[in-house]
Amino acid sequence: MDPIRRSLLGQLARLSAGAALVPLSSVANAGINQQPPRREGDPTKRYGMLIDLRQCIGCQACTVSCHIENAAPLGSFRTTVAQYEVEHQETGEVATFMLPRLCNHCENPPCVPVCPVEATFQRQDGIVVVDSDRCVGCAYCVNACPYDARFINERTQTADKCTFCAHRLEAGLLPACVESCVGGARIIGDMRDPASQISRMISEHGDELMVLQPEKHTMPQVFYLGMDERFVTRPHAEPVALEVLDPHGKEMGYEFHH
Amino acid sequence: MNSTIELLAPRYDIAWYPWAVQYFFMIALSYATLWLAAPALVFGKQKWLPTARLALLACLATTLLAPVALLADLHQPLRFWHFYAYANTHSWMSVGSLILPLYVVGVIVLTWLAWRPALQANRQAPGIAGFISRWLSLGDSPTPPVLLVLVGLSTLVFSTGIMLYTGAEVAIVKARPLWNTVWLPPMFVATGFIAAAGLILLLNRVMGERCTVVSGQMLKVMLGACLVAGLVAGSWFLDGINADVGSVAAAMESVRGSAEWRSTALWGGLTGVALFGAVLYLLTRPAPRRPALYAWAWLLGLVALHVGWMFRWVVLMDVQTVARHSAGFHHYGIPAGSSGILGIVGTFGLWLAVILLIDLFVPWRQARQGGSATDVSPGHAVTQNAANTTEGVSSHG
Repeated sequence: MDPIRRSLLGQLARLSAGAALVPLSSVANAGINQQPPRREGDPTKRYGMLIDLRQCIGCQACTVSCHIENAAPLGSFRTTVAQYEVEHQETGEVATFMLPRLCNHCENPPCVPVCPVEATFQRQDGIVVVDSDRCVGCAYCVNACPYDARFINERTQTADKCTFCAHRLEAGLLPACVESCVGGARIIGDMRDPASQISRMISEHGDELMVLQPEKHTMPQVFYLGMDERFVTRPHAEPVALEVLDPHGKEMGYEFHH
Repeated sequence: MNSTIELLAPRYDIAWYPWAVQYFFMIALSYATLWLAAPALVFGKQKWLPTARLALLACLATTLLAPVALLADLHQPLRFWHFYAYANTHSWMSVGSLILPLYVVGVIVLTWLAWRPALQANRQAPGIAGFISRWLSLGDSPTPPVLLVLVGLSTLVFSTGIMLYTGAEVAIVKARPLWNTVWLPPMFVATGFIAAAGLILLLNRVMGERCTVVSGQMLKVMLGACLVAGLVAGSWFLDGINADVGSVAAAMESVRGSAEWRSTALWGGLTGVALFGAVLYLLTRPAPRRPALYAWAWLLGLVALHVGWMFRWVVLMDVQTVARHSAGFHHYGIPAGSSGILGIVGTFGLWLAVILLIDLFVPWRQARQGGSATDVSPGHAVTQNAANTTEGVSSHG
């Protein structure tokens, strides 16, 4: 359809029936669905992470160490490194792009206000955690996270996610993924402390840093250095990991075309 | 431009199971049938009484069943009391958990008030039916119609709360662009009314009422609901057609990228148009031919139930298979166990059991807007009322 006609049709819809529903949508997004007050944690700190993609070799040491540290069930990940094969269409040159993913501990976390029992909450130091004794396992937060950072832990039957290894931070240790990163690609720290490595790197690389899905206004606090902007939103990539099912529909493994 | 292949990404499971579809389906049938029972029971329109009796039966059964499915969708169902111990106002689900019990109690009380005169008249019946009537009717005082109107009105208010929260709860989720549209809540309501009208058409046949007036009324409701659904779907499409991001853009991307989504869209569109066309055809036939044609309206009822259920399945289940920050779609196969097929069949089975138990032991065919036992002549009330109030030919038997 030609663009002028399309825009006309769109305006028409907004002017007519759309107008009636606009107040409804503002009610849905204001008042109800507001961030509840933060609780617990050190109010003088704000933890964040910077991932230097130039240093990431996709070895998955972070994935494995996180799995061991936090005992996530097989197949569920608090952090993982997605890998893409990118081919330059003119030169045919092939490169691998690595995208370590974890909870972004957003400044405006969409997973927190949806929780019907306030089991998931943001601490005053910015870390988003789940009280698994209170969680009812409604999985609303799992659906509300745009980053696939949450899952229902099949053993505890409650919501599970990256906590920046809060238990290790409190003991003066680094998170498991940071500790095990061979290239030193993951930098965690207090962004309120101007002397911390993360603060220094943020001020040094300010404009080059990117976050995932900024258009969702979640304000992620995991920053990527050396990022290609085409991976900031859902990548336009060909999925090749096809599941191979046995005659009973049970998964046997993966098959890679190409 | 480069070409990109995703080599490694985890598979993300769906988080809401088919139980959610069952809840959304049952609760939509519940609030829509309540509104279809309201003209006669709350506002005293005698012409709607045969419809109201069937609608009330459907409403009570679905209202009792919906919370069961909802509870089953929790991964920790025994912690349901946390909803009340830690209630808050910033989560639509929490708001809903406060409205839902009020609504359920409202429907139960309303049904009890509407059935009470008939229960009182049935106290002398032999066996279990008499025992249940004696026990449930709680004395022989008359039931003031004004009480039924008051309870009915407040339950209607709660039901709008249910419509609002079930829609808003899903529509505010920005992480799933397909859900994140103001057009989703009205579409839930419109398809809910389509399915509810279909259910009453079906009950009208299987319960042996075969009332032409009911069929005519329900076909009109269905026509209206189909029109509203078409209008909402069209507005959603026009509203988002320009945008690069958002609900319509995400839908177009899914339809482009997946043969399954293409066939789903095609099936949905065709079924909707076919249902609308068939209802319009039936309603525009000359009056003498209508009774013969309306006898087959229950088939359209089945199609309408299919539309209502499939819309919820596509919205709640299929949308969860669209990857959010990785490529393509996640595989979802319906498991055989309680979180899958067994749960779906079990919910419907339980619902059928509730309907049958009510039909066996409760004189639901004599539901009325209050009154006392002497107003009801057991066994004949339906025929008399229907005959007094119908304009067309009713074919009981």
